[in-house]
Amino acid sequence: MHKHVVRAMNVFRLIGLYFKVNLASALEYRASFLLQAFGMALNNCSFVFFWYIAFSQIGGRIGGYDFNDVMFIWALCSSAFGASHILFANMNSITRIIVSGELDTFLLQPKDVLVSLLCSKTSLTAWGDFLYGFILMALTHGGDAQAWSMFLLGIVIGGLLMTAISVTAHTMTFYLGDASLIGSMALEFVINFCIYPEGIYRGVVRVLMLSVIPASFIVHIPLKLARHFSPGLLLLLLTVSAAYCCFAYVFFYRGLKRYESGNLIIARM
Amino acid sequence: MAKLRKYLVVTRISLQNVIAYRSSALGGLLFYSLFIFVFFNLWRAIYKGGEVTGYSLTQMIWYLCITELVVFGCRSGVYNQMNDDVKSGSIAYQLNRPYHYVMFQFFNALGNMVFNLVIYGILAIILGLIMAGPIPGFSFASLPFALISVFLGIIINFFFMITLGLTAFRLEENFAFYLIYQKLVFMLGMFIPVEFLPKWLQSIALYLPFSYVAWAPARLVVAFSWDLFWQVIPVQLVWALVSILMSLGMYSYGVKGIQAHGG
Repeated sequence: MHKHVVRAMNVFRLIGLYFKVNLASALEYRASFLLQAFGMALNNCSFVFFWYIAFSQIGGRIGGYDFNDVMFIWALCSSAFGASHILFANMNSITRIIVSGELDTFLLQPKDVLVSLLCSKTSLTAWGDFLYGFILMALTHGGDAQAWSMFLLGIVIGGLLMTAISVTAHTMTFYLGDASLIGSMALEFVINFCIYPEGIYRGVVRVLMLSVIPASFIVHIPLKLARHFSPGLLLLLLTVSAAYCCFAYVFFYRGLKRYESGNLIIARM
Repeated sequence: MAKLRKYLVVTRISLQNVIAYRSSALGGLLFYSLFIFVFFNLWRAIYKGGEVTGYSLTQMIWYLCITELVVFGCRSGVYNQMNDDVKSGSIAYQLNRPYHYVMFQFFNALGNMVFNLVIYGILAIILGLIMAGPIPGFSFASLPFALISVFLGIIINFFFMITLGLTAFRLEENFAFYLIYQKLVFMLGMFIPVEFLPKWLQSIALYLPFSYVAWAPARLVVAFSWDLFWQVIPVQLVWALVSILMSLGMYSYGVKGIQAHGG
């Protein structure tokens, strides 16, 4: 047990160190950093406008959600996406790294391969996504402590789930040869089911959102918990999310055993 | 005529290229289907909550099929291409070639756009028929006139994209402007018909170019009327001309600032 705790602490320390180095690098180009973050936040604001128009057309609820519910799932999805891409932006490059043979560099490092691979890059626009969620929450939920606590917990869970989805999709490259199409589409596909009310879908799609496309676990269940807290539902959320992340981790290492080095010689700056 | 012939050769080659690598369009087709599916569900839920003025649910689904078709059909990557050419300096190698850079980019993208419009067009018709059924009151006789509007919408969007890409000549970071433009097109027509906007915003939107990219063509397809046709076509022509002149102006202005230091 003690060994596992130490190992987990080492992983968190490694993520923290990568974060510090990446942030320092981003701040070297302050103007670009701020402009990109601001542009992304503004980009997201346009969807508030869409929902304002949709609700003002009919009033009441859409798919069982009112305006504030939709803002909650938007805020959570945006901040979770932002957090995952601030810390693990390299998730989008896994296929390219495997196919080009650049994975050799990560295999030689004395730390966890997947963590090093994911953390070695950050995204500047992700800061805009991350902060946008907080601003939206402040404007629509004010001091609602239950909503804020589920929002903060949801960022951690959602961020990890989004990363797990991306890792799983890109890991297919070990089996298929080149899964760039699946890799680039998987997360965007899931996000499309996160940013609209769950109630607009029926039957099979709802089942998929609770299984293969874990959109319900990223935003819709945290919303339910924010409105009506239930310890059983929270336990289900934590258990399924942990299982999904463990699956992605194990799937990656299983796939890694199939990797063959191309003896590519590169220098990492 | 000889000048035009060389550009048409560029279009032919780009069309051959995109047909040769047609499997790369698969991702776009999947996403197009996904967007239509999500919005079909969303608007069905919205219409369940109450009536929406100006459009029936069937018209709304077809409206989205057409606006997405215009936007997906326009996807030529020209903004990224120009941005990269300018920022990497590779534009310097293209200045002494026997073509106008902006015109070359347009005719090069044209092949891609023709291919996209055909495949997304077929998909739009299939999805529209499956999800919504035929458009009530649709007449094939009015379709060619609506297609003129589709063509003008694509021209407006394309040359504004070129203009935005070429701002890289003078700005260090221009991505925020691209995002703002894209979202104005989305919100003033692509996702929401202009008729749904508040009155004060409608009157502003009808003076701006953004609604003429997607709203005008889609409205003409789902509810054609000669009044609307004569109302939107002159405005589209003006904005098409403005966007072409802006892109050429931005190019001339940017090229003057180029400093080449060997190769």
